[in-house]
Amino acid sequence: MLATATNVLRIHPEKCTGCLRCELACSYMQTGTFHPAKSVIRVSPFEGHTSYAPYTCTQCAEGWCMTACPVGAITINAAGAKDVLDDTCVGCKLCTIACPYGTMFYDPDTRKAFKCNLCGGAPACAEACPTAAITYEGTATEDWLGEFARVRSARVLAGVR
Amino acid sequence: MTTASLRAPSKRPTPSAARQPQDGYAGKLLRVDLAKKKCWAEPWSPDAMRELVGGVGLGAMILYRETATKGGKGNVSWDHPDNRLVMATGPMAGLPAWGSSGLTVVTIGAGTNGPTSTQANGFFGTNLKYSGYDAIIIQGHAPDWVYLYINDDVVELRDARDLLGKDTWATQDTLSAKLGLSGHMLSVYSIGPAGENLARFAAIQGDYGHVASKNGCGAVMGKKKLKAVAIVRGTKALRASDPRGLMQAADDIGFDLRTDPSAKSLYEYGTLPGVVNLSRLGALPIKNYTTNVSSVDMSQWEAPKLREGFDHRGHQCSACGMHHCHMSVIRQGERKGTIVDEPEYEGWSGAGWAIGAMSDIEGVAWLNTELDKACLDVNEFGWICGWVMECQEKGYITEEQLGFRLKWGDIKGAARLIQMISHRQGFGNLLAEGVKRAAEKLGSPAKDCAIYTERGAAPRGHDHRARWDEMLDTCTAATGTLESGVPVHPTEVGQPARINTFDGEAVAKFIAGIRGRRNFEDSLGMCIFTTRTRLENLCRALNAATGWDVTVPETVRFGRRTSAILRAVSLRCGHTPDLERPSTRYGSTPIDGPAKGQAVGAQWEKMVDTWYREVGYDRKSGKPLPATLKELGLDWLTKDLWGKRA
Ligand code: SF4
Ligand code: SF4
Repeated sequence: MLATATNVLRIHPEKCTGCLRCELACSYMQTGTFHPAKSVIRVSPFEGHTSYAPYTCTQCAEGWCMTACPVGAITINAAGAKDVLDDTCVGCKLCTIACPYGTMFYDPDTRKAFKCNLCGGAPACAEACPTAAITYEGTATEDWLGEFARVRSARVLAGVR
Repeated sequence: MTTASLRAPSKRPTPSAARQPQDGYAGKLLRVDLAKKKCWAEPWSPDAMRELVGGVGLGAMILYRETATKGGKGNVSWDHPDNRLVMATGPMAGLPAWGSSGLTVVTIGAGTNGPTSTQANGFFGTNLKYSGYDAIIIQGHAPDWVYLYINDDVVELRDARDLLGKDTWATQDTLSAKLGLSGHMLSVYSIGPAGENLARFAAIQGDYGHVASKNGCGAVMGKKKLKAVAIVRGTKALRASDPRGLMQAADDIGFDLRTDPSAKSLYEYGTLPGVVNLSRLGALPIKNYTTNVSSVDMSQWEAPKLREGFDHRGHQCSACGMHHCHMSVIRQGERKGTIVDEPEYEGWSGAGWAIGAMSDIEGVAWLNTELDKACLDVNEFGWICGWVMECQEKGYITEEQLGFRLKWGDIKGAARLIQMISHRQGFGNLLAEGVKRAAEKLGSPAKDCAIYTERGAAPRGHDHRARWDEMLDTCTAATGTLESGVPVHPTEVGQPARINTFDGEAVAKFIAGIRGRRNFEDSLGMCIFTTRTRLENLCRALNAATGWDVTVPETVRFGRRTSAILRAVSLRCGHTPDLERPSTRYGSTPIDGPAKGQAVGAQWEKMVDTWYREVGYDRKSGKPLPATLKELGLDWLTKDLWGKRA
């Protein structure tokens, strides 16, 4: 796969096994340590213990976080990802409220906002995933999880164990 | 990960990481005294980490130091408050090598009343280490049923009375709902009714389908009135000494697992191919070792067929890329729609072949999960249920005694037996004592049909009359179960690539020669399937995680040191070498099938003699010889075992 400015993280939820290796790799890129609590990709369970899928910033065209930031700390990096400039961010958390997808985070240790920056063009999650449930490709972004979530939540909603 | 992503990480140093004392480790042991209702964190030194690594290495030393009776000559029994229940992970847990969340349970087990080392995976190690602990060490008996709750620095013993009687899956469901945490945000390792009622082959089950099953460790948990350990995924960080090196080593191991002929089928199908492969060797146990000839079409048991028969959901352990652990949805029949854990080979054998269930594949898959839920070891259940079936057929156990008629392959009857054993109802009360004690109680001729070791352990789920290496290993190991294990790249440790499995002398030398590796693997916090690569690769990964310079010979020496310490504990428990032999049926000669006529009994004594000579233990007393201990750097143990003058 050639990384271009239009590449997006594509999620193939049916392939995900819930191993959480993507979170480990992501947290390493974000913090230099293995620290899944600070991963910006999060794997959610569906049906408790039987179905999982990862979820992260879609780099949406609207860029709600950028618009909301009062100090202009969010910019677009070379990979086309919205990225937080640490030196500028004042930690006001407005962006975390503005993001409708819940993929903007706040780190109480550094007092800065943080989010997926596509690792500058070589996303670690996609490379770490042993099942290719996350790929980095030049395609239009879509709702990758909707149908999967609908099917895989049916049992829980119906109260079947 | 390819090297492309391995440039320096961007930013934001993590303050909590700066406090890490030793790379790769969380740095603390969690101590729990159930009687005093106290929990405390105990730091352990980098030197101790290097010496004991984790898992069974750590657990063996804790047993040795903390379970002796006063004066140090004897050992406390499994049901004594001073018995320790060690639930340990290791340096690789929580890091990106595949399958790195390993749990090793070390305790004085209820089966042999001797030392135990038994493994499970799931998310135990990951969640525990991100909470800040490398192991949990539990002592004392709780006055009332509790569960241990761990959430970073909040560690509490909580009332578990409302969980009593619940099976292991329902226990996890209940705690998940109560704590509002789903998926891998919460790991729960618990006992079901079998553990609560002290069945001697009760297991500890966790994260829906991962079982530390050997030697009645679940009964120890039951005796301690500890229903469950619930670990919220912690928020701390783990640091690797060389993170890029670690990811490269992890990827190389992944590559090996995907492509190496010795691991490839495991990568693709887990242990499923075992059924057909072992049947070709005569090592698939059929109907309690009464035959080795299958009466069904084996093509339905081919791994791809077994997989195709169910709908699947991946359920891998932490960071694992193996196509191994799956959840299966039953597609047809009366249990349609039920979600079960895809059986391992040992599930197909223990809940299937050993009890004569060779056609009802959905039924076997379901029964296997029923065992996990009740928390019974599937291997020992297979031997006990198969034995009851055979004894009923032969009239050694009557319908009146058992309360019903149990025929070969009767899944519903077997499920009824699970309940009787787990609740110690009727004849189930005797069966809950395990296969050896039950057989001895009934005496011959029933006793002569039972499969066990004289030490009191039940073998793994193979017909070891065609796997002499495993029979010898099972009988001689201090833990009562495989200590050398299945050879992985034996040439790496100077052993031949292959041996004649019916040449007792060669088998004994081989099993003694590969000794060490298994204990090392079981100390890392990884899975024995994801460590099926060369030791050199494991060393690379471990060294990148910790900053050490461990070499291949050191791994073997470490494992043998651990074996010697476990042996010292087992000697203290009164396990003498005369117990190191198979029961009559276990050591019998197959009457048909591929291993027909191969008589392990005829070579047994010679095999054991050779094994003792090769491992450097004293044949008469069972003690590791002073010279062996010296070589292993265990001079302190020489003093304890042989007295000052040795
Ligand atoms: S690494 Fe892949 S398989 Fe594992 S949790 Fe992430 S997306 Fe799922
Ligand atoms: S091989 Fe299976 S048991 Fe081992 S870590 Fe992977 S999924 Fe878990």
